Amino acid sequence: MEDNQPQEKPVTQMETQSPVMEKILPAIHIKMDNQKQVTSGTTQDKATCNRCGIISSKEFSFFYGNTCGVKNISMDIYPCMVTAIIGPSGCGKSTFLRSINRMNDLIPHTRAKGRLEVNGINVYDKRTNLVNLRQQVGMVFQKPNPFAKSIFDNVAYGPRLQGIRKKSDLESLVEQCLKDAAIWDEVKDNLNKSALALSGGQQQRLCIARALATRPKLLLMDEPCSALDPLATTRIEDLIEQLKKFYTIVIVTHNMQQAARVSEWTAFFCLGELIEYDKTTRLFTKPGKKQTEDYITGRFG
Amino acid sequence: MKIGYRQAFDKTFTITAGLSVFLMVMALVIILGPMLSRGSKAVFFRGTVEFRKMQLAIFNHGSSDQVQAETARVEKAREPVYELLENFQIGIDVELLTDKTREIYRELGQQLRQMDVDRETYAAIRAKAKDIRDTLSDILESTDKDYVNQGIEVILKLSDDPDFKNTVAEQFFPLARMYGENVKNIDLTQRDQYIAALEEVKDALRKLFGPLPGESTPPMPKDRYGATRWDTAQQSLHQLLWAQAWVETKPGESLEKISVRRDDPQKGQFAGTSLEPLFSLVENNLDDMLQPEFTIYWRYFLDDWVNSHYFGGVGSEIIGTLLLTLLSMMFAVPLGVISAAYLVECADENMVVKIIRTCVNTLAGVPSIVFGLFGLAFFVLFLFPRLNMPSKPCILSAALTLSILVLPVIIRASEEAIKSVPQTYKEASLSLGAGRFRTFVTVTLPAALPGILTGIILSLGRAAGETAPILFTGAVAMGPQPKSLFDGVKTLSYSSLDIATGDRLAMMAPHKQYGVIMTLIILVLCLNILAIIIRWRVAKKLRGY
Ligand SMILES: Nc1ncnc2c1ncn2[C@@H]1O[C@H](COP(=O)(O)OP(=O)(O)OP(=O)(O)O)[C@@H](O)[C@H]1O
Ligand SMILES: [Mg+2]
Repeated sequence: MEDNQPQEKPVTQMETQSPVMEKILPAIHIKMDNQKQVTSGTTQDKATCNRCGIISSKEFSFFYGNTCGVKNISMDIYPCMVTAIIGPSGCGKSTFLRSINRMNDLIPHTRAKGRLEVNGINVYDKRTNLVNLRQQVGMVFQKPNPFAKSIFDNVAYGPRLQGIRKKSDLESLVEQCLKDAAIWDEVKDNLNKSALALSGGQQQRLCIARALATRPKLLLMDEPCSALDPLATTRIEDLIEQLKKFYTIVIVTHNMQQAARVSEWTAFFCLGELIEYDKTTRLFTKPGKKQTEDYITGRFG
Repeated sequence: MKIGYRQAFDKTFTITAGLSVFLMVMALVIILGPMLSRGSKAVFFRGTVEFRKMQLAIFNHGSSDQVQAETARVEKAREPVYELLENFQIGIDVELLTDKTREIYRELGQQLRQMDVDRETYAAIRAKAKDIRDTLSDILESTDKDYVNQGIEVILKLSDDPDFKNTVAEQFFPLARMYGENVKNIDLTQRDQYIAALEEVKDALRKLFGPLPGESTPPMPKDRYGATRWDTAQQSLHQLLWAQAWVETKPGESLEKISVRRDDPQKGQFAGTSLEPLFSLVENNLDDMLQPEFTIYWRYFLDDWVNSHYFGGVGSEIIGTLLLTLLSMMFAVPLGVISAAYLVECADENMVVKIIRTCVNTLAGVPSIVFGLFGLAFFVLFLFPRLNMPSKPCILSAALTLSILVLPVIIRASEEAIKSVPQTYKEASLSLGAGRFRTFVTVTLPAALPGILTGIILSLGRAAGETAPILFTGAVAMGPQPKSLFDGVKTLSYSSLDIATGDRLAMMAPHKQYGVIMTLIILVLCLNILAIIIRWRVAKKLRGY
C-alpha cells in the first residue's frame, strides 16, 4: 500500500486537472516522465505485492444469457505494467477485457457476478459514472472501428468530448497521438480524408491514436496487432514500451512471442477460466500448470 | 453436364431478373408517359393571338404594342367572316325582321306626327304603310316561296311611291329586297333549322375568335377570348365546319348519325346560301385569323389560375404543396427519428416495445382517408378549440395529419437505419467516454443518415401526393395563398382531384387537367432527386471517397 501511494498521486492529479493538463500537455509529458522514472525506481518490487492492482477482480463472472463468458476470475493488474492475456480462441479474453470498461453493456441479456474494481471503484455498481470510467480506461478493439469521419475528427473526438475546443491545441494533440501510434507519416498530408478510406492496419493504428488522445490511465488492447504487418507491429510494440511508463496496459494477443516481448505479467485463460497468472518470465519458462505448458509449447488441444 | 445445368440456371436467373426490371420500367413508362406527354401540352403548345391577348390582359405578360398590332391584323382578316354572317343573319332571322318592320312602322307614325301633315294624308300613309307591314309580316311567316315572291313584288312596286319619300318607310324596301334575295336559296320550310344551325355556327365562331362584334364583354374570362391554343382552335373549327345529322342510310333501317360539312353542295345545311363561302373562308384563312406561334408557357409553373384553371397555371398550387410538405416534414422527421432512436437505443426488447412496433407497422398500412377523418376529428374539432385556436381546416391541421400519415414510414426506415449502424461505432464512441446521447448524435445519427434520408424521400413523395388526408383537414380548391398557419392551402394533389371530378370548366381544358398531374409528378420527382442527391453526398462523405 505504501508503495502504491506515490504511484497513485500523479495519476489522480492528471485526472482532476484534466482540461488544464491537456493544454500544457507537452510540458506535462516531460514532467510525468520524470515522476514516473522516480516512482518506478522506488517500486521495484511492487509486482510482488498482490493487493495493489489498479484493476482487481474477485470471483468475477460474466454471462451472455445463460452461457458463461468468463467465470470466477480473480486477478490484480498492476499499474504502469503491461499485462498480457493469452489463451485459445473463445476462452473469454475479449469478454474479460470488455468487462473492464463495461463495453459488454451494449449486448442485451448480459449479466455480471462478483467484483471488478478499477482504481478502487466498483465497475458493476449501479452508481458508477460510466463516462468517467471510460475516460480513464481507453480501449483498442479487436476489429478496427474508426468513425465515418475524417482522420483528424476521429482522433479529436475524445479530446473534444473533454472540452478541448481550441484548434491549435487539438492540432498538436492529434499530431502527437498519430505520431505515437506510428501512423503520422502515412496520413499527415491528408488529415481530412475519411478514416474509412484507410487500410485495415492503418485503421487499427488510427484507433490506437484515438484511444491515446483521451489520455487514459489504463489502456485495454484487444489484439491490436492482428491486422498489422511486422514493421507496424514492431512500432506498436515500441509504442507500448514507451507508453507503459505512464499508462497501465492490458493486451490480448495470440502471439506468444509478442506477449513475451512486451509484457511483464501474463494471464492464461482457458474455457472462461483463469488458469494461470504470473510474471511473464516465470510463466513462459516455468509454467505452473500443465495446460499452460501445453498451450505455450503449442501442444494445446 | 452438371456445370452445363448450373450455367443454364445462372443464365435463366439473370434473364428473369433483367426481364422483371425491364417490365417494371415499362410499366412506369406506360403509366407516366401518357400523363407527362399530355400534361406537357399545358406548357408546350401553339398559342394563338387570343392567348397573347389573354396573357396581356389577365397576367400583364407580353408587350402591349405587339399584341395591339397583331389584334389589328387578325381583325382585318376576320372582317369578311363577320360580314357574311351579318348579311345572312338578316335574311334568316324572321323574328328580328318582324321586329324591325314593326319598329319602322312605329317610327313612321312618330315621324309623320312631327312633320305636321294633315289628318287625311297621315291616315292614308299610315294605311299604306300598314299594308306593307302586314304583307311583310305575312311573307316573313310564310313558308311558300311563290307567295313570298309575289308579296315582295307587291311591296317593291310601292317603292316609288312619293308619299314615302324621305320617310322612315323607305327602309321597308331594302329589307324586303334583301329578304327576297336570301330566300331564293333557302328552303323556307326549314327555316327553324337554319336558325338553330346558325346559332351553332355563331357559337363555334365565338369559341374561335371570341365575342362577336357588337356583343358586350362576357362576365367569364374564358368567354372573353377565342381559341387560345391551336389544338382547341382545330376543335372549334371542326365544330364550325361539320354538322351532325341523322340520316337514313338504307330504307327501313334505323337512323344513323353522320357528320356532314355545313357547306357540302348536296347535303350541307348552308348549301347555296349566302353563308356558304364563310366556311371555306375560315378554314383556309384560320392561320391569318389566329396567328398561331409555338409557345413555351413556362409561366405555367408560376401563374395563378383564372376561371377554374381554364386559363393560367399552377403556381399557387406548387407553392401550397411545397409549404404543406415541408411543414409536415418539420413535424414528422424529428418525431420519427426520435421515436426510432428510442425504439432502438433506449427501450429494451420488451412487450411494450413489441406492441409499439406492431402498431407502427399497422399504421403504415391504414388507408389514408382514415387519417384524413382522424385529422378532422382530432385536430380540427377536438384539439384546436381546446387550445383556443380557430376550429377550421387549415394548413396546420393538414400538415399535422400528413405528418401522422408519414410517421410510420419514417420511423420504420430510421429504425432500420439506426439498427444497421455497426455496434462497433457505438462501442468506439462509448469507450472514448461519450454519453449515450452524445454517441447517438455524433456517431450513430450521421452514420444512419443515408437510411433515414431514404425514409424521408419515400415520405416526401407520399406527403406531396396524398389527397385523402388533406381533403377535410385543410385543402381548398380556390382562395388566396395562406398567410398564416390557420388558412386553407391549395395543393396540386387536391387540385387534380377537384379539376378532374368537380369542376365543369376545367373539363373543357383537358390539357390543364393533365398539366396539374404532370406538375405533381415532376414536383415529386424533383423533390426525390433533390433528396437522392443529398443522400448521395452524405453517403459519399461517410464512405470517404
Ligand atoms: N455477443 C456475444 N453473445 C453471446 N455470446 C458471446 C458473445 N461474445 C462472446 N460470446 C461467447 O463468450 C465466449 C468468449 O468469447 P470472447 O469473445 O471473449 O473470446 P475470445 O477469447 O476473445 O476469442 P478470440 O481470441 O477468438 O477473440 C465465447 O465462447 C462466445 O461463445
Ligand atoms: Mg476476442
